[in-house]
Amino acid sequence: MSRLFFTGLVLALVHSAGWAAPSGEQIYRRLCVECHGERGEGVAGKYDETLHGERSVEALARLIDRTMPEDKPELCDSEESQAVARYIFDAFYSPAARARNHPARVELVRLTNRQYRESIADLFAGFLSPLPLAAPGGLRATYHQSKGMNKKDKEVLARTDASVNFDLWTNSPAEGITADQFSIAWSGSLIAPHTGVYELRLRTPNGARLYINEELRAGDSNRRDDSDARRAPALIDLWVSSGGEMREATARLFLLGGRTYPLRLDYFKFKEKTASLQFEWRPPHGVWSVPGARDLSPDPSHGIIAIPTTFPADDGSLGYERGTTVSKGWHEATTRAALEVADAVVSRLDGLAGVRARDTNRTARLQEFAATVAARAFRRPLTDDLRQRFINDLFVTNLPPETSVKRALLLVLKSPRFLYPDLGEPADDSGVAARLALVLWDSLPDVALREAADRGALRSPEQVREQARRMIAAPQARAKLQGFFEHWLSVEEADDVSKDEKTFPGFDAALRADLRYSLELLVEQVVWSEASDYRELLLADYVPVNARLAKFYGVEAPDGDGFLKVRFDPGQRAGIFTHPFLLSTFAYHRSSSPIHRGVFLTRNVLGRFLKPPPMAIEFMDDRFDPSLTMREKVTELTRKEACMGCHSTINPLGFSLENFDAVGRFRTTDNAKPVDAQSEYLTADGERVMLRGARDLATHAAGSADARRGFVRQLFQHTVKQAPAAYGPDTLNTLDREFLSSGCHIRNLVMEIAAVASLNGLSTTPPTAP
Amino acid sequence: MTLLHRRQFLRRLGLSASLLPFVGGLPGLGAPAASGGRQRMIFVFTPNGIVPPDFWPDATGTDLPFKRILKPLEPFKSRTLTIQGLCNRVRGDGDGHMRGMSCLLTGIELFPGNIQGGSDTPAGWASGISIDQELRNFLQSREETRTRFGSLELGVAVPNRADPWTRWVYGGPNQPVAPLDDPYLVFEKLYGRMKDQESLGSILDDVHDDLKRVSATLGAEDRNRLEEHATLVREMEVELKTAREQKLTHPEPVLEPGAGTENDDMPRVTAMQSDLLVNAMANDMARVASIQVTNSVGQARMRWLGIDEGHHSLSHDPDLNAVSQEKLVKINVWFCEQIAALARRLESTPEPGGSGSMLDHTTILWTNELGKGNSHTHENIPFVLIGGGLGFQMGRSLQMELTPHNRLWLSVAHAFGHDIKTFGNARLCEAGPLALA
Repeated sequence: MSRLFFTGLVLALVHSAGWAAPSGEQIYRRLCVECHGERGEGVAGKYDETLHGERSVEALARLIDRTMPEDKPELCDSEESQAVARYIFDAFYSPAARARNHPARVELVRLTNRQYRESIADLFAGFLSPLPLAAPGGLRATYHQSKGMNKKDKEVLARTDASVNFDLWTNSPAEGITADQFSIAWSGSLIAPHTGVYELRLRTPNGARLYINEELRAGDSNRRDDSDARRAPALIDLWVSSGGEMREATARLFLLGGRTYPLRLDYFKFKEKTASLQFEWRPPHGVWSVPGARDLSPDPSHGIIAIPTTFPADDGSLGYERGTTVSKGWHEATTRAALEVADAVVSRLDGLAGVRARDTNRTARLQEFAATVAARAFRRPLTDDLRQRFINDLFVTNLPPETSVKRALLLVLKSPRFLYPDLGEPADDSGVAARLALVLWDSLPDVALREAADRGALRSPEQVREQARRMIAAPQARAKLQGFFEHWLSVEEADDVSKDEKTFPGFDAALRADLRYSLELLVEQVVWSEASDYRELLLADYVPVNARLAKFYGVEAPDGDGFLKVRFDPGQRAGIFTHPFLLSTFAYHRSSSPIHRGVFLTRNVLGRFLKPPPMAIEFMDDRFDPSLTMREKVTELTRKEACMGCHSTINPLGFSLENFDAVGRFRTTDNAKPVDAQSEYLTADGERVMLRGARDLATHAAGSADARRGFVRQLFQHTVKQAPAAYGPDTLNTLDREFLSSGCHIRNLVMEIAAVASLNGLSTTPPTAP
Repeated sequence: MTLLHRRQFLRRLGLSASLLPFVGGLPGLGAPAASGGRQRMIFVFTPNGIVPPDFWPDATGTDLPFKRILKPLEPFKSRTLTIQGLCNRVRGDGDGHMRGMSCLLTGIELFPGNIQGGSDTPAGWASGISIDQELRNFLQSREETRTRFGSLELGVAVPNRADPWTRWVYGGPNQPVAPLDDPYLVFEKLYGRMKDQESLGSILDDVHDDLKRVSATLGAEDRNRLEEHATLVREMEVELKTAREQKLTHPEPVLEPGAGTENDDMPRVTAMQSDLLVNAMANDMARVASIQVTNSVGQARMRWLGIDEGHHSLSHDPDLNAVSQEKLVKINVWFCEQIAALARRLESTPEPGGSGSMLDHTTILWTNELGKGNSHTHENIPFVLIGGGLGFQMGRSLQMELTPHNRLWLSVAHAFGHDIKTFGNARLCEAGPLALA
């Protein structure tokens, strides 16, 4: 954690004889080309990084005048610096020049790992009758008096329980039930906040069975102990108490975030001394805890095929995940995944295909099912040729139909038509539907989109926007946007943050999990509010906190168990960048880190470009005079001219948050000296801004065009997974103008991005006949 | 040969026994052991007691006529041993069925628990290991007898709830082992990876072909990515083919499709499980196995015999109810036929790498949780042994004076060279192993 990077733009010196005509190009050739190359591409052994960036001509000129040629800046006066800056800016330095020199194109990409999993889940969920979204609020519970082997002799009580975590000792659970023998059944859904491995745990001295993500069957009732009816396999089976001891069992389950899963928990007591049951979980990024009302729903859900296969990580070298790597590891992972999917489908084949074991035309109907799967996976109707090759050919042999289905599924899921979602077919309605589903959901078109495509109703921006408005309300869109904000806020890198226990007692894993949830909640509340205003993220003067957070951060605890908005002193905190989760993430074990905070703000928030540091320098606290403040240490460390190229941007931003310590608590002193959070920040356009602390920073960011454009660019890249310029040189500017005029409405922007990406190429290429 | 022909050929045949490096190890492919000294044991459970007059031979000795229920074993008479007089003497918590079932192979008490039967006190799981698992652990502990699975736990129409009525195999105290009653799952356990490889082998050529077709429609820059992809597909095909030479000693059986795990599928499933088990043993995947047919209190409705009532309900009917007794005899005859069929399968399979048939090296032990259904007695529980390999003197009928069945488990352990002094409840082992040699 204590590694410090610093960055510099270093132009090298070229000696030359005499002065020639002072055009920018000539100066560049005379003084710069030896180290920077003909077109700024760099020269190995001299300065091997490409000269490109986002500074204005003026800022570039000032930098050149001050630092270039290296060690001999006097060789180039301010007028000449201005000329050479103008030349390199236009020729290759600026984003516009780069776009002109290397026109972006929409690349052929495969599904990202997330897109693969989401597509599989929705592909098969689409065969089940739709259920309304399961809303949070706890589980449905029925309480029964038991009588011998009849565990549900009499239903005495039905209610909703917020959680399952009780210790009745020797008492009865409800009036009208005897304490010696009774049973309780909970049902509803588990709400999975993130994608990953969930651990589930039951603890009881009595009998309990837990089912999650299983479609329940006739025998899934605890009416009689000895009923032979078929049951779903229990995830955790502690039905038999044996030896009179407290028993505990844990299971692991891979779930996709943003979805709900059927849950049932059956419990009974029979003459054991005491009655208790604890149902706990450890969600990804979380700690062991009792799932509560926000994690449980009394409403039903369907089972989902969630593939636990480990995929090699997607390429993230451009700052967003994209499917450009076709490696052996990926090929094998998709093979394993295809086998897992095929097995999962075959194991619940009759339910998915809507057939019964004894149907006379079962094989024909299974063949039809496989053809439907293929068409949905390929995101367009099957041609006769494809139907023959992918389906019919596999059903002609004497194989059992299950085997034919399995092989057809393997063939479909291994086909480029599934794995590469946009194969550059002439843009048509099906193609638009496919892109919309990918951009908004990372998934496949649903039935409404497919029908719209069949009707030819996806050709105009209005039609596409209408679909986008419908789609953005779906849980898949929420999950995808949540993923974007995690990425934008670097939340995903923050899992292993820990702090010095002596300095910060109470800052433990549970508190970190609360902080993370608080940040998610803040983002969610802004994004899904009516205004959905990006600027509110930057300016909000409240943070959702629960009792534990309130205690640690010294604010008034909200009433009740949950998270409630608590207003901080607006002079102290402003917006998500003063959220303690981020402040503690971008900090050292014991102290703040203005550099980590500054780099994060520069890149992610203010949308500016930083090159990788030319060398990595470790921040070693004990090397400094122990009486210095953190600001003084950082200033000393990055004093060199080579550092200041970037640190002149990074440091002022980081210093503006110096009022927050390593856990994000407000402070007025550092190392027994008053905190100095004031500094002058130079924008990319060369404007000087005085930042006196967090509020100034937030105000600047909220009004900054660079920051806004950076947000638009990052959101585009995350949702579309292509370069924005591939959709026309003016794509970002157009989106940014619309964004601004919509009141910086985030959901609107997402829908506009979806429209731009989906309709790309449609106006120039007439749609093909279906 | 055109591509199309080759593809169709592959699709029809599949690539049997091919191996994917990333999927991992294959089932027992090793050559059979050089010595012919394998010993195997198969424990078979059928529920709800028998009909004693139609089961037990009238006297002790050799070459006695079999009664109706044992008639199907006639061809194996010289290799059959019936032992009358063995009792499950384990007491404690649990009703007769629970203790009958969960103390049968364990010979030890149940823990107190929350499962209440129709009578007696509630109980939990057995407090000790079962004899088959004891043997398994012993065989797996030695290099020369170690196999891929050690033991296989199969079932027929076992309800998928776990309680002391549905579990007879225990890995240890409080460790019930669930039987697999779906032959397709058994197949997957034994050969699943190979099946996957076969399926893959049958489609990879099509995948490659598809990649080629799609990439032909793309621009040069995008085509590269699909070319890379196509190369990876070809590599996988080659790996599959290279591994195809490896063969099982006995190729896996071909299962007929569509057998469910419901009541009416019992005859088919029983036959399939027997086939799978004999095949797995021929390939030396395990030396110990159990087949649990339904469960204690099992309610099989043998409609294929013209019996609509549930087995357990019938078993409660009094001796004087001749109609019910006749049905119970029929049910047990059917069970015996399944045992005989298993013996036949073993007999018709030559011992791999050894002499004689597999039956010469395998002992089937058929038993029940009760001596008699309507009395729920734990006395005179049926124990019928068929086959060989344990050094027991077969072809006879033994009669003992109410002897704890723990002593039989000692004999079996000793026959495998596992010289334990007690098994299960030590008090019930005091007289030592039965003399069966």
